[in-house]
Amino acid sequence: MATVVDSIAPAHSGRTRVRVTATTTGIVAGLLAVIAGSFFDVRPPDAYGLCMACHARDLVDWTVNAAAGTRLTVAPASLVFPVLTPIGVLLGALLAARTSGEFRWQHPEHPLKTFLYGVVVMNCALLAGGCSIRLLLRTAAGETLGIVGFGALAVGVVLATRWLQWRAAR
Amino acid sequence: MMTALVTLVVGVTVGYLGQRSRMCFVGGIRDFILVRDRYLLRGLIAFGLTAWIAFPAAAAIGGAGVGPFGTPDLVTMVLTGCGGFGVGYISTLANGCPFRQHVLAAQGVVSSGTYLAGFFAGAVIFHLWVAPLLLRVLP
Repeated sequence: MATVVDSIAPAHSGRTRVRVTATTTGIVAGLLAVIAGSFFDVRPPDAYGLCMACHARDLVDWTVNAAAGTRLTVAPASLVFPVLTPIGVLLGALLAARTSGEFRWQHPEHPLKTFLYGVVVMNCALLAGGCSIRLLLRTAAGETLGIVGFGALAVGVVLATRWLQWRAAR
Repeated sequence: MMTALVTLVVGVTVGYLGQRSRMCFVGGIRDFILVRDRYLLRGLIAFGLTAWIAFPAAAAIGGAGVGPFGTPDLVTMVLTGCGGFGVGYISTLANGCPFRQHVLAAQGVVSSGTYLAGFFAGAVIFHLWVAPLLLRVLP
């Protein structure tokens, strides 16, 4: 589990180890997502302020369109210039990992499997109209489809967790 | 251009906080089921509640409001449900939501890097092949 891996990461002295709780992150992310959408035109569609899948799709498709002259779909918010959320998250997390001494190369056991997980999750997310973050954002905005998508996501997590438990118990 | 700048700033902020807090948007439900740990679940609920309060608050002070959304048709609801289920199920097997995978890739976890390569390739695959196929097959 990722949380277990994180908790056994070695502590480095003399580094800036800022402590932030998940609750704080949730509150700040929720505020920023709404502010970006309501005041800084990260829309349409509605409730589009923060999404890892849709924003990554916009960035990748916009870049491919510009480079290869294709007409892959991008959201209206990204027509002129794409949203840069994925790059921002990578930079922010890199900064946090570097300043806290938690940056460490860890090599994969099954690179092909994780690659395929990425492909499938992106396709499912684009089918649902958002990753876990935006499905919750749409739910909070009161959209029926968002509630359906987030409900189904919760069911998926529960069943996958039960399956992992069952497999570990065998 | 403004949109790009704002999303970059939002991304850096959330990415920084996400790395420091180990935030994951599927991990909350998973950890609660596995070991009754509520740490990540509280982050998930905090995000939802904050957005739920902030949407009408932003509209009240002059920001753009959301909705009305209208009633979706059955096919869209089924597709959204299938997509949502897939995101939840596969993200749990992959050990984290797309946001968490971005954060892990940035702190040197190479398997999350290959996940992201697939994630980005998946966007092109979806719009080149999956979406046209669905449009042809579905009513």
